[in-house]
Order: sequence, then C-alpha cells, then structure tokens
Amino acid sequence: MTILVLGLGNPILTDDGVGVRVARLLRAALPPDCDVEVDEVSVGGLRLMERMVGHRRVLIVDALLSGTAPPGTVRRLTLDDLRQASDTRHSRSPHDADLITALDLGRRAGMTVPEEVVFVAVEVENVVDFGEEPTPAVAAAIPLAAAAARREIDRWLGAPVSDT
Amino acid sequence: MKRVSIDPITRLEGHGRIDIFLDDAGDVANVYFTIPELRGFEQFCVGRPAEEMPRITNRICGVCPEAHHMAATKALDDLYGVEPSAAVRKLREMFYMAFFVTDHTTHFYALGGPDFVVGPEAPPAERNILGVIRKVGVEIGKQVIETRIRNHEVIKMLGGRGVHPVAGLPGGWSQAVTPEMRDRIAESAAKNVDFGLFSLKLFEDVVLSNQAYLDLILSDGYTHRTYYMGTVDAQNRANFYDGLIRVVDPAGKEFVRYPARDYAQHIAERVEPWTYLKFPYLKGVGWKGLVDGADSGVYCATPLSRVNAADGMATPRAQEAYEQMFETLGSAKVNGRYEPIHYRLATHWARLVELLYAAERMQELASDPEITDPNVRPVVTSTPSEGVGSVEAPRGTLTHHYQTDANGILTRVNMVVGTTNNYAPMAMSVKKSAEALIQKGTVITEGLLNKVEMAFRAYDPCMSCATHALPGRMPLEVTVRAPDGSVVECVQQYVD
Repeated sequence: MTILVLGLGNPILTDDGVGVRVARLLRAALPPDCDVEVDEVSVGGLRLMERMVGHRRVLIVDALLSGTAPPGTVRRLTLDDLRQASDTRHSRSPHDADLITALDLGRRAGMTVPEEVVFVAVEVENVVDFGEEPTPAVAAAIPLAAAAARREIDRWLGAPVSDT
Repeated sequence: MKRVSIDPITRLEGHGRIDIFLDDAGDVANVYFTIPELRGFEQFCVGRPAEEMPRITNRICGVCPEAHHMAATKALDDLYGVEPSAAVRKLREMFYMAFFVTDHTTHFYALGGPDFVVGPEAPPAERNILGVIRKVGVEIGKQVIETRIRNHEVIKMLGGRGVHPVAGLPGGWSQAVTPEMRDRIAESAAKNVDFGLFSLKLFEDVVLSNQAYLDLILSDGYTHRTYYMGTVDAQNRANFYDGLIRVVDPAGKEFVRYPARDYAQHIAERVEPWTYLKFPYLKGVGWKGLVDGADSGVYCATPLSRVNAADGMATPRAQEAYEQMFETLGSAKVNGRYEPIHYRLATHWARLVELLYAAERMQELASDPEITDPNVRPVVTSTPSEGVGSVEAPRGTLTHHYQTDANGILTRVNMVVGTTNNYAPMAMSVKKSAEALIQKGTVITEGLLNKVEMAFRAYDPCMSCATHALPGRMPLEVTVRAPDGSVVECVQQYVD
C-alpha cells in the first residue's frame, strides 16, 4: 500500500512552510517508481485525517515551535508523543479537532486511517511574519529533515505492509 | 486593583489573552481581550499583481480559504470593472454554498455543539466531537465526515484545488460546470439538505428539549443588545455570496444599507493602546466604548447577526427553521419582521438555519439551467485602480480592498475579516461572563475558563489565520494578581 508523505504548513508564513519545502526536496529525490506519494497540504485536524484515509503509513513533515530546542533542530515524533503533549482532545485552532481526535473519529466511523504516523518536525523561529523565505537556521535544516524523512521511508519500504 | 490574566503559553496557531482587572471591592472593573495578529500581510502583497490575490489571500488561513478566495475574486471584479455574468455568479455561489455547508457542519459538531450536546459542565476532555458521538451515536460521526468529504469534493471540482482554490478570475471563473459535474453536485446538495434538516432536529431534541440549556441560552450573561450586520438580497433576505450590506439597530430597524464599496464611509476602526487589533464600529453611531445599546456603535457580524439583519431566508425550509427560531426565542414581529435575537448562544442555532439555507441554495443552483453555461471567462479590458469585494464568511462579513497602479500592481491592501468585526462584542461577552463568576473578590476558578470559552466560542473566532499546529493545543493560564502584582492563585486549562 502506498506510503503517504505530507508536507504541512503555510508557505507564505516564513518558517511555517518548512514542511512544504522538505516535501518538495524529497519528491525530487525519490526514485520515480517507488510506492510513495508526496503531497503538500496546509491543513490540520479533520481535513488532515481525511487526506490520510486509505493509507496505512503516513509521514508528516511539519514545523514545531516548542521553544525547547534551537531553531533548525530536527526531531522524530510519533502519535504517542502527540498524545502525551496534548492532554485534551482539542486543536489549538478554535476551528478544528486535533489530529489525535480526528484519527479517533475516523477510526470509529469505520474509515481506513493509518496505523502508523511518524512526524519529522523542524523546530522553527518565526511563524507570525508573512514571508516566503525561512529564517537561516530553519533553511539550513531542510536537507537534514529531508534526509530524516528519507530514512523513515526507506525503513518502511524495507518492511512493507500487506494491502489487506 | 487585582488582575486576573488568562494567557496562553505558546503562540503557534495564534492566541488570545484575557486580562481581567478587579476594582477595590473585588468586582470586575475591566476586561481586556487581546488577539495577536500575523504581521506584514499588506507589505507582503504590495508590489505583486492584483490578480494573484485570490491565490495569496486564501493562504492567510487554513480555516476559510474559500471565503478569502471569493472576497478577493470579487474585489478583482470591481478593480477591473467587469460585472460577472449571471452564470458566473451562480457558479461561484454554488461553490461557496458547498463551503458554507462544510464549515458550519464542522463548527456545530466539533466546536460549538459539544458545549450543548455533551453539556457545558462536562470536563473539557469530553467536550469535543468524540463526546458528541458518544452521546448521539457513531452514525452521526460518520455523517459529519461524509458531509465534509462530499462538499470538499465539490469545492475541489469547482475550485480547481482541494484546499486552496484557484479558479477565481476578474469577472469570471476558470472553468465552466459540465452536465456531469452538475449532476454530481445536485446529488451532494440533496444529501446536504437532509443533513441540514437532521442537524436542526438534533438541536431541537438535544438542546431545546433540555430546559437547562434553554435557560442558559436565554440567560443575561450571554445577552447583548447591539447592532447587527449581514448581507441581504433585493428582498432583504440573507445572502452569503452577494448583495448589499445591511445593518439593523438593536430594535431591528434598518440603520443603513450599502454596497461593499462604501464600507469605509460606514465603518471606522477604533485603536486602543492595549491591543494590536482595531475595533470596527459604526461611524454613524460613534464609538462609546465596549458597551451595548442603540447609542453605541458596536456591531456584530455572525450567523446570528445575519439572520437578525435579514427579514428572512430565501429558501423555503430554511425560512421555516428561521421562523421557528425567532418564535421559540420569543421575538416579536414588528413592522412585518422579527425583532433581533440578542442571546449570543443562539448563534449556534442560527448557524444551523444557515447550514440548511446553504444546502437548499446549492440545490437550487445545481438545478438552474444557466449553471452549465460555458461562457465563464470574460475578456478584461479596463485599466485598474481600486476595487472592493465582500462576502459573508462563515464567521462574519469579509471585505477585501485593493488599490493598484495602472498595470494592476498592488499599492495598498486592506481587509476587514470576519472575526475583526466581532472584536468589540466578543470582548463584551467575555467581560459579562467574567462578571458573573467574579464577585466581591471571590474568583470562581472552577468553570471560569469554560464559561469564558463559551462566551467567545459562539462567535467562532479566528484568532489568527494560521494553518496548523503541533502539538495541537492552546493552553491558557489564569493568574489572579494582588494589587502589588503577586500571584494569588493560578489555574491552567486548555481551550480548543
């Protein structure tokens, strides 16, 4: 079953679009015949869950503003990390459910939601100023994040799940 | 003076901060509700071709890209002096109705509804869409997702892209509707009508039949008598895509009705030193501070405002639902129209009336013979200079205003977004809910944040238009401070 890679973020909000840039780099580097679909989406919560339906393994590349690491730090997170970070089931946006809730809803509604979601997150600096260029530390992290994402994809490709 | 502050710890998606100042007697003296802004959007746009605006402005926000796309497209109509044909207007409106159905569905089931369906006293971890389906059944969860998916398909089909549509052109639309597309859309619209009726029935069964909830809706703490704004058609019925902007006074009398282009003659913005955001108010009434009543220029632009500003709905079932709402909430008919409903929590009900209207209107448009007219790309010949466009976004009247040089390069950009309209009434609602919970120095921390949240959630605020966030929460912190600034107590909670 096709591995789905999603670059998240707003490409005109300085560092927020880092996930989109990583996805573009990754798409260009992947062999054309591999069973990986790469897409860019500026959504979260329910719409993100709906985008994942039908895929068992999803890799999400996104910006992270934790303030606990220098900008440009690349981290690997799982859904469990997200669960621990969020002790309520709300999104930070007042217009959506968070991803954990959305996946839970999709599962209960009988949809094929992914069993495994891995996040490659890049610590960012500026997500409040409009701009098309990321800050230098974040820009420098783009190839590192793409490499981290590639490792994840290669691991999955080496251990495929069956389609059933 | 004591200070209670409700302050988020992080600011990725955007945050609100609430400062509550107490007087010497320990009662609420003032409440400051501050909303941060994403910065530099105008500078980002200036120097770019205006025709890029429908594709740039829909990137401001991941919540209502379709609304920005449409307001920008309409601003281009005005900028380039091209009056869209009836077929173009219908096609755009049909696209826009699909968006309204999905947006209002999400708000009711995932955001606003849980307060009622699960209950306002339920712990925050329960007050979400999972709590809703635990209470009313998983089948409803399925329907919510299916409604979102089928309308997103329509948006993608007509808008050219799934999330950030690209089809809007000055005076036109990039692709016409084929008969096959029309048939699929008609099918989706019919399901939307059923879903709209179902949602209103659910509201009746779960909310209206519960006296405690009804009392909450009717309670003074969530009531404000303000002016109301909404777009209306030639018969003064609500319209989301086009028409004149109408404002009624707190008694329901028309105060002003104007084309979007004249917005600056009627709306002024008040700058306060404690917040980045400006408070829009009615110029013709004047700024009297954060107070309600006919003498205060504070107005509201929400689903409730739209049904208050209009004399009715343009589709039959939505009109029935509209009448039922006004009758149930005890609104009298004066000069042939209902008096406005001032209960802010009734906004959730109004949203469902609008959901049904959008579904019915989509169905009407899908069966309109003109909808498949292939001529949707007019030739643009005039020299641009200035254009204004507005639509009703799900959370209020949205206005885009562009100025360009003779080559169509932007020199100035101004936008009044849905939530901004409601900044003053939201601040008032937060204050009123705080007053009910803080008296004579006693701060009822239990439930304080929930009630404050409910006060502003009814407005469906977009605190800032960003797109997504990890890890997905917005923590708020309430700090009660003594006059010397020392912390008396501190509670923390997360809002959605």
